[in-house]
Amino acid sequence: MAQTTVASEYSSEVHAEPIEHRFNPYSDNGGTILGIAGEDFAVLAGDTRQSEGYSIQSRSMSKVFDVGDNILMSANGFAADGDALVKAFQNQLKWYHFNHNKELSIHSAARLTQQLLYGKRFFPYYVHTILAGVDEEGKGAVYSFDPVGSYEREQCRAGGAAASLIMPFLDNQVNFKNQMDPSSNGTKKKELRYLSLQEVVNLVKDAFSSATERHINVGDALQIVIVTKDGARTEYHSLKKD
Amino acid sequence: MDIVLGIQVEDSVIIATSKAFTRGISVLKTTDDKTRVLNDHNLMAFTGESGDTVQFAELMQANIQLHGMREQVDLRPKAIASFVRGQLAKSLRSRKPFQVNVLLAGFDETTNLPNLSMIDYLGTRVDLPYAAHGYAAFYTMSLLDHHYRSNMSVDDGLRILKMCSKELSTRMPIDFKGLYVKVVDANGIREVDFE
Amino acid sequence: MVGKDCVAIASDLRLGSQSLGVSNNFEKVFNFGHVFLGLTGLASDVTTLSETFRFKTNMYKMREDRLIEPETFANLVSSTLYEKRFGPYFVGPIVAGINSKTEKPFICGFDLIGCIDFAKDFIVAGTASDQLYGMCESVYEPNLEPEDLFETISQALLNAADRDALSGWGAVVYVITKDKIVKRYLKSRQD
Repeated sequence: MAQTTVASEYSSEVHAEPIEHRFNPYSDNGGTILGIAGEDFAVLAGDTRQSEGYSIQSRSMSKVFDVGDNILMSANGFAADGDALVKAFQNQLKWYHFNHNKELSIHSAARLTQQLLYGKRFFPYYVHTILAGVDEEGKGAVYSFDPVGSYEREQCRAGGAAASLIMPFLDNQVNFKNQMDPSSNGTKKKELRYLSLQEVVNLVKDAFSSATERHINVGDALQIVIVTKDGARTEYHSLKKD
Repeated sequence: MDIVLGIQVEDSVIIATSKAFTRGISVLKTTDDKTRVLNDHNLMAFTGESGDTVQFAELMQANIQLHGMREQVDLRPKAIASFVRGQLAKSLRSRKPFQVNVLLAGFDETTNLPNLSMIDYLGTRVDLPYAAHGYAAFYTMSLLDHHYRSNMSVDDGLRILKMCSKELSTRMPIDFKGLYVKVVDANGIREVDFE
Repeated sequence: MVGKDCVAIASDLRLGSQSLGVSNNFEKVFNFGHVFLGLTGLASDVTTLSETFRFKTNMYKMREDRLIEPETFANLVSSTLYEKRFGPYFVGPIVAGINSKTEKPFICGFDLIGCIDFAKDFIVAGTASDQLYGMCESVYEPNLEPEDLFETISQALLNAADRDALSGWGAVVYVITKDKIVKRYLKSRQD
């Protein structure tokens, strides 16, 4: 431990005392992500701002990745851990191809992600992870994970800094929560239906422009990755830079 | 933790308080009455820091009785609840706040309606059909949520209270030595046999 | 929330002590004449302040022989809270109303020591404020008619409250126009 001298008010009483240094292995790099599953597609979107405290480190840092086999992955929170997790996943996927010579299905990708996350149960990846893809029946799939690997398949999920702002909006607009069938005079819930790709993309854009308005760590640009059985494609839209 | 329970039924309010007086790990008394009569139709049950509780209860009792004597009219349940809450809220921001939570059971002779108010040491007041302070709430609220009906008779109320008492006996880590049960109705305050 | 010649104010009905729900009819919106005040935070202070403002607005009414206007009331709230600058009331107040003379809608919010936040669109407060910001920012649009404003504020509140463990247990909504006040209770999830 480092020894140093501390000059006190009583300069005759100079004495040595140990100074503690503590290293904090984590930080918060802001940003927010959002995944929505459609009938035969899924989208995973994220803003491209990376920040630490009040400083913006980058206005164009992608955090949604096409990791191969039609799987989209994003790990939002502590960027270094997020990158490490995606790298670890891609590496595992490569070995999976070598060993089994077939594509990794989305539900297996989810289980693999759990193993990777829980493998660091006592020094976790500080991230909220979302996986998006198309399942074996051709249906859009979104899986979301907590930092230590608890996961669930869902229709939609927001993660990261502005998750709390976006999630209730998704409940309302994707799962039609608190909405009624107008013709039933408030006796029947509005029936669930799959949203079209255009509807989903519009929801994503609205969700992010709203989050940008009220959250300082969200903004700059929006990256939307759309995955279908035929592959993934990316759209970029600008967000406010303030 | 002391038990203080209240159930308001069609024409009266039932109050139940545990008989045990505990300090640390010892039960010092098995016939402790955690209630004070405020006036003919109003009863206050209390829990909290021992010392504060009785001091506060008797302070409220004296003030409310003084009002009755001065004005020749007894304070009604809502007025008492408002007064007691005011005192606790004032006390909260004093040098040494009263750490007392109370239930006020009353019968309003003007409107002929029973009233149950729950007030905590912060001065949070709510008028409820049934209420409990402390850990007892965790064990009894589900029973009350399920069985309570607003048009119940006193006997129905006592039956639910019995269920609560049974649940508390099995779940509470220390013996609370049974309950004192009192009923406040149009005829005033009376103790009822329980067990 | 502000609409076309109307304002709306809403709150949930839950009162709890930590995780335990205690009451499902604890209204947090009070009115003093045609001015409405929403108060979230420490329940004790919510009651204390609503009583204080009832007293102060009644005194105002007697002295001025007219009802207090929203703008005036906002400044009354502000000064009352700042009076307790170093031992504050733990509340998040919101004022809404329509000025009876200019017929202009008015809303504003405060921090716990009385700093006023004048807003043109909406103000949120409470444990679900993050969720409310997200909802309001995405479902709100300016110049809504009263009925549409009602639907908008209700959806914003309901969906926000459902994502907050400490909010919900029913809701109440007031829609205020210059000559009519409509109060509605909303059915909501009970968990």
